[in-house]
Amino acid sequence: MSFDLHRPASVTEAIDLAQRFAPTARYVAGGTDTVIQINRKKIDPVHLIDVACLPGMSEITETADAFTLGALTRYRAIETHPAFRVNLRALQEAASVVGGHQVRNIATIGGNIVNASPAADFVPPLLALDASVDMAGPNGQRSSPLLNFIVGPGKTALLPAEIVTNIRFAKLPARSATAFLKEGRRRAMEISVVCVAACLTLEASTSRCASVRLAIGAASPKAFRPEQAESYLLGQSASKENFAEAGRLAAEASSPISDVRASAGYRRALVAVMVERALETCLQRIREQDQ
Amino acid sequence: MNAQTHRVAGHRLPRRDGVGKVTGKHVYAADFKLPGMLYGKILRSARAHALIKNIDVSRAAAIAGVRGIITAADIPQVRYGTAVRDTTVFATDRVLFMGHAVAAVAATSSEIAERAIEAIKVEYQDLPALYDPEEALTSDIRIHPDWETYKALPIISRKDNIAGQARIHVGDVETAFAKAHKIYEHRFTTSLQHPGYTEPRVATADWDANGIVTVWCNTQLPFDTQTTLAEILDLPAARVRVTVPGIGGGFGGKLRIGVEHFAALLARKTARPVKVMSTSEEELTAALPRQASIVLLKTAVDKEGHLLARSGRVIVDCGAYAGSGPGTAAIALQVMAGPYKTGALAFESIAVYTNKVHSGSFRAPAGPMANFAMESQIDMIAKDLGLDPLEMRLRNVVKEGDPGPSGETHTSVSIEECLRKAADAIGWHDRNPEPGRGKGIACSWWMTTGGSSGVYVKINPDGSATLVSGAVEIGTGAITGAAQVLAEELSLDLTDINVTGVDTQAAPFDYGAQGSRTTFSVGNACLAAAKELRRQMFELAAKQLEAPIENMKLQDKHVVAGNKSISIAELARISRLAGGGLIAHGTAISPAPPYDPARVKNHPLPVWNTPSYHAHAVDLSVDQATGKVTINRYVVAQDVGYAINPTYIEGQIEGGVAQGIGQALSEEIVYQDGRVMNANLTDYKMPTAMDVPEIESIIVECRSAAGPYGAKGVGEPPCIEPPAAIGNAIAAATGCWPNSLPMTAEKIAAAMRARHP
Repeated sequence: MSFDLHRPASVTEAIDLAQRFAPTARYVAGGTDTVIQINRKKIDPVHLIDVACLPGMSEITETADAFTLGALTRYRAIETHPAFRVNLRALQEAASVVGGHQVRNIATIGGNIVNASPAADFVPPLLALDASVDMAGPNGQRSSPLLNFIVGPGKTALLPAEIVTNIRFAKLPARSATAFLKEGRRRAMEISVVCVAACLTLEASTSRCASVRLAIGAASPKAFRPEQAESYLLGQSASKENFAEAGRLAAEASSPISDVRASAGYRRALVAVMVERALETCLQRIREQDQ
Repeated sequence: MNAQTHRVAGHRLPRRDGVGKVTGKHVYAADFKLPGMLYGKILRSARAHALIKNIDVSRAAAIAGVRGIITAADIPQVRYGTAVRDTTVFATDRVLFMGHAVAAVAATSSEIAERAIEAIKVEYQDLPALYDPEEALTSDIRIHPDWETYKALPIISRKDNIAGQARIHVGDVETAFAKAHKIYEHRFTTSLQHPGYTEPRVATADWDANGIVTVWCNTQLPFDTQTTLAEILDLPAARVRVTVPGIGGGFGGKLRIGVEHFAALLARKTARPVKVMSTSEEELTAALPRQASIVLLKTAVDKEGHLLARSGRVIVDCGAYAGSGPGTAAIALQVMAGPYKTGALAFESIAVYTNKVHSGSFRAPAGPMANFAMESQIDMIAKDLGLDPLEMRLRNVVKEGDPGPSGETHTSVSIEECLRKAADAIGWHDRNPEPGRGKGIACSWWMTTGGSSGVYVKINPDGSATLVSGAVEIGTGAITGAAQVLAEELSLDLTDINVTGVDTQAAPFDYGAQGSRTTFSVGNACLAAAKELRRQMFELAAKQLEAPIENMKLQDKHVVAGNKSISIAELARISRLAGGGLIAHGTAISPAPPYDPARVKNHPLPVWNTPSYHAHAVDLSVDQATGKVTINRYVVAQDVGYAINPTYIEGQIEGGVAQGIGQALSEEIVYQDGRVMNANLTDYKMPTAMDVPEIESIIVECRSAAGPYGAKGVGEPPCIEPPAAIGNAIAAATGCWPNSLPMTAEKIAAAMRARHP
């Protein structure tokens, strides 16, 4: 492993460096994916542009109706942020099962998204929150829904020299809750066999589903939203039977592979169970808020 | 526990190597560096079974910074190996598995060495390969066509792809099966498991002006490594010096030569010091993992659940070389007999070659595989007969004086006590506290490996003692245990004992840190050395004190005779001036107990020394939808004979159970068409701290006749029972018996679906 390491002082400088050394340059933040990929000879960058210390990019900002997470926000910061303890629990649940403690202290959420692993733990909860990604590049700033930002395994909509700056999502209405579930062979330092996030909002005074967003990781080439399962539940009562049907529909919509971690059949079965359980957890959390 | 009778032994004292290790000051072999040192890398085969048509190193040799390249053509043609001399340093005319060493490069940096490796061009011609050990038994493909020309231990019985075949035969099996109330027959499989030591295998070698090569490495067996290196280098052993600065875990995976030979050969070629360290990928494709196995077991019982007869076959997949396979497979036979009375036994072990990584002696070789089969089947039988699994075991366990499988006599037997204590602690009366939750129990016995130990002990003029042993401190606290014995016998404190590092040039022979023997055997050698030192000190004191030796004793760092006394320090000073110092050579050897050779055929370890007995009990929950196992509680009751240091015994129990949980639930090196599919630590799933519950250790002390103060071997047993205990608990929780390791959530979910479609 050998490369030149650059330490830009600003996003603009980082973009300049990336342009100057393209195509052999790569941004690196926490390095928990990049360094492994270099070691395993999957990538061979000549220039690493270290953006980990860029100022103002690791803040969690709350406004009246939205949250903005700087791309360099560490998982540890998400795990411990008081604003995510109520109806944004999925973020903390996902952040707390990424790697181990050492990884979570250094790895960034922006890196997790840009790495675009189908099994990325932090992507499903952000998809379930309908998050957007802000980018900066040689041609200025732009923004994209996360769902479109991730194009395929390891592939994003980032243009050359573009860098992710923020991730944004709207606050949830009343009677909303989120949940995240992960299955794998062990309880830490684990790549998800399947991970599922759910975001459920109930109507003001009924137990009918007003809004449902589901997101599933590691069960298709990129994390996805099972639209049929979501629309099936809309306006329906939040019942165990309906949640189970949503799980079944989500499993049907998934297209998992068989690999050394699990078979496609087991992954699909997990999707059904986990979607149902994530929705049940959301419902339970809404009931707790109601009380 | 033993604190009443002893001052130092039996106490929870801190390890002599503890502070250095927790402060990061301790120098491990991986930390070791020499000025001008080169870095070595190994080119490994990308084919499972192929002829080597040509090796072209010219492009690699031209890379700036490359100092030397070696292949089979550059070194003495030597076959080495413990049971069978079938192993070569490099593949010669054929590669036998993906990962087989083909060439080695030394360069000024490891990056350059790696680039050079990639620049070596090897032309292969593929051969049909064997991956399935059962297929290898009948196939016409020969992994070692010249096997008949190989030297082997005379006891080893070989044929074609079989590297070793052993038998235990007791009583009239056929008649017993004919008379049985019921007969049960099952098949079990277990997976290839990496020992999971923290520090990869590493060696630095340097040749001096006299042609002596020194190798700084992390072997568990410095003397075995010295002998093997001498053979490979074609040198007298005296010109090979092996020293172990420190070792970051071994678990049996560092018994046999790992990278030491590459370092020594590259250093000879380049006339520079060379360091070679395995990568994670090499660890998972070309180290010495625990063999995968297939166990077929047939058991006959009477109506009350008494074991009448058993027959069985253990097939151990050795991989491309025999390695520890023949011995491992043979040991499975004693494990399958278990701590049970059985009138008739007909067991056979087969160690077979395949085109996969060659394997080693991971902690309690064969123990968990054979125990998983044997103890799972006990529970299956108990369930079928409507018996409580604990009761079924208690009806069959051996008692004091009962014969063992080889015709030896079981002595200081504690199996019933271990079973009852483990069962009580786990709350056995309530085996299914809620749906999806169950408790399981399993028990076993295990040997304390013999082999000789020698120590030198020197009394220093400050009254402290220096202990020179050829046994490495592998991380268990074993040498601290031996030092506690020495301190006890010399009336010193543990902190008065200085332990030197291991150096084959200076240290007396030791059979090595293996087989649960280090504290046991080095401790016995310390007893002998202390006895000799007392003789020397009493003789000297007799002159100084003008008192008779008969009444002398050591007390509080003094020789005391009636109302007269003289300090050990003073005696050491006097001896330095007048007698060359107080120094002793203590030795120990545990002879094998008498047994009946007619029962045991072609078995390299026909009878067990000083066996220990133990039982594990586990309480776990299984997610009824996903199959995921959550261990709620885990209890071990282990007979250690005498607990020389209870803290380190608990450490051994906890670590062994963690490894056993890995083997039971998550770990396997996965092969597909000869290629390892998970050659990294992301997908090779060792349990993390989050996966291992608090382990509750119950130390049982049933003293042996042979160990220091009655101690028995401790280190290996804790990893034997976890797969069986966990499997039995899964069965209690789900009604399904997993018969293949690891028992992943996916396998359990599939079994549950098959039962309730």
